Amino acid sequence: MNRYNLLIIGIIMLCSLLACQKDKPINPSVDPPIEAPYSPTPYNLELPDNFLLPDIPADNPLTVEGVDLGKRLFYDPILSGDNTQSCATCHQQAFSFTDPDQFSLGIDGLRGTRNAMQITNIMWTQHLFWDGRAIGLEQQALEPVENPIEMHETWVNAIEELTANKDYPTLFYKAFGSKNITKELAAKAIAQFERILISKDTKYDKTIAAGSGLFFTDEELNGFDIFNTERGDCFHCHGSILFTDNSFHNNGLDSTFMDIGLAMISGKENDTGKFKTPTLRNIALTAPYMHDGRFQTLEEVIDFYSEGLQNSNTIDPLMKNVHKGGIQLTAAEKSDLLAFLHTLTDTTFTTNPEFSTPF
Amino acid sequence: MKNFKVLTSFLSVFALALFMGCDKDAESGTISLSFDHKVGTETLELENKAYQSLAGHPFYIYRLKYYVSEIELYQADGTSISFENIHYRDIADENTRMLDLGEIPAGDYNRLTFTFGLEEDINIDGGLPNTQTNVNMEWPIPGDQGYHYMKFEGKYDLNGTGELKNFNLHTGATGGNQNYVEISLPISAMNVDGNNLSLLLEMDLMEWLQNPNTYDFEEFGAMIMMNQNAQTILKENGQTVFSVADVISN
Ligand code: HEC
Ligand code: HEC
Repeated sequence: MNRYNLLIIGIIMLCSLLACQKDKPINPSVDPPIEAPYSPTPYNLELPDNFLLPDIPADNPLTVEGVDLGKRLFYDPILSGDNTQSCATCHQQAFSFTDPDQFSLGIDGLRGTRNAMQITNIMWTQHLFWDGRAIGLEQQALEPVENPIEMHETWVNAIEELTANKDYPTLFYKAFGSKNITKELAAKAIAQFERILISKDTKYDKTIAAGSGLFFTDEELNGFDIFNTERGDCFHCHGSILFTDNSFHNNGLDSTFMDIGLAMISGKENDTGKFKTPTLRNIALTAPYMHDGRFQTLEEVIDFYSEGLQNSNTIDPLMKNVHKGGIQLTAAEKSDLLAFLHTLTDTTFTTNPEFSTPF
Repeated sequence: MKNFKVLTSFLSVFALALFMGCDKDAESGTISLSFDHKVGTETLELENKAYQSLAGHPFYIYRLKYYVSEIELYQADGTSISFENIHYRDIADENTRMLDLGEIPAGDYNRLTFTFGLEEDINIDGGLPNTQTNVNMEWPIPGDQGYHYMKFEGKYDLNGTGELKNFNLHTGATGGNQNYVEISLPISAMNVDGNNLSLLLEMDLMEWLQNPNTYDFEEFGAMIMMNQNAQTILKENGQTVFSVADVISN
């Protein structure tokens, strides 16, 4: 056997070794050497034509390795003070990445005053949280880890644990070309995972698709009209394919305010009682409702918009019927609107294994 | 001899350059538009300031967003230059105040025209790129495709008692009527010759409510997206809302 043949056999062996690493990226016995070239694979995000254009920061492009790492971090309790809680504890896939609990329980048994928000089509949301206090997902992801009523950990500790872990240094290297784990890189990875959480397969999506051959029921269609005309006028805030304008409004829940919402962040009195419009995708799965989870059912929400509006200086001008207490729907209109809201449920999204725990 | 040849050719190029410099045609310039607002004789102040409508209601302004398209600049001799830009203005966002239109040929310009809103070819589902801003302006009423041209929102005081009702002056196409407004504004003596020009446009919000038709918030109610009478009134009133407040050259 000459040296040439030996070389070829060597290459073949190396290739098969590499191939099996790909299947089991976290098996420590086949860790690639650090010197292996860092070449992440671009993540191919497929969006329907009627969706918004992708909105991804230039310094954090989606990669297969980054998304994988982000998913792991999202589901790993390692980021919490006592290693019992992960992001997914409060953002559960089955509930469109929110928490059925009105006020989520932190690791120290403490609860806040706001209902957990769903993480669905969040790529297009620039101002995160009910009051918009975080700008961008990368910034947002830093907060829950250190929040004393949530994961109550320090990033210094969390980074130490990640660095000591047998898998994470390699995973960070594959995602970002560095084994030096930082909270910024961890946040970037989590943000990448959150950006792929796209809901696009509701009955609504399927029915409006050109040539679908599918139809709404009469009730759903009436509900659609109520929602999308000035009869119900939901679309001015919960409009477009996202079912949110990603903006802040006072929708008339209160006339005096325990929680002043956006005003706390902007410092402007005129922002009192304004909160971020939540998406209505998967709304049938995300009870309880509103920033403080005050409504248990969608029926209660519809009653509120129909006759429960409270006037205040900052109520949104779009709440045109506040002087009448609301849009004054009949019982039939209410159930039609409810039927329409149920067409926004996306079980493909809530069961997609790509979004599920890797553990 | 060789050196001499080089020298002459160099000199002739130099002379040619000089010659062109002396006898040059007027040079092209650049132009930008800016979009500012007032309310009658008063400055625009959001939410806190009360204005008085001709119909007799004190009112407050909360929001104003609109599109301008089909921008065209005319010279005295009738030649014109048109721009592809579609401009979205939101008074809550300072970044939307200026529209840079780039280079324009030399000449004496005396008229600016544009469309307030969007014309038929663009005012269709997905006619504009699906950005958050554009999708927020979409007009979702079945059968009436396209976008809101304007969202002008606020509150008014029905009987001067301090009890406020909301108004939404939303314009757009409805029932097959396009309802966009063609604006034509005279510009006094705008000469382009190597200079950078800014046209300062001003929208007088009061004009939507009074000229030539008196618009009464109470009469039409808050919901006018499918009310062609209200749309027609606003289309007519829209003719005079804009003016050229100033032309700055430097
Ligand atoms: C103990 C429960 C809990 C945990 C754990 C938790 N969250 Fe949250 N999350 C919430 C609550 C409650 C809110 C709303 C808080 C507010 O607005 O003040 C929220 C809001 C968010 C939002 C804002 C969504 C929007 O539309 O603006 C994002 C994104 C988010 N969380 C991601 C995460 C990530 C990533 C982690 C893990 C690093 C995490 N959360 C851990 C409860 C939790
Ligand atoms: C002026 C804007 C606006 C309009 C119009 C509007 N909403 Fe909302 N909606 C909001 C905001 C803002 C919230 C969150 C309010 C809060 O929690 O303080 C909200 C919350 C909701 C929620 C609860 C979502 C959650 O995840 O907790 C539902 C459901 C809802 N709206 C349905 C509707 C329906 C149905 C209509 C039409 C009848 C409508 N909305 C009209 C702005 C609006």
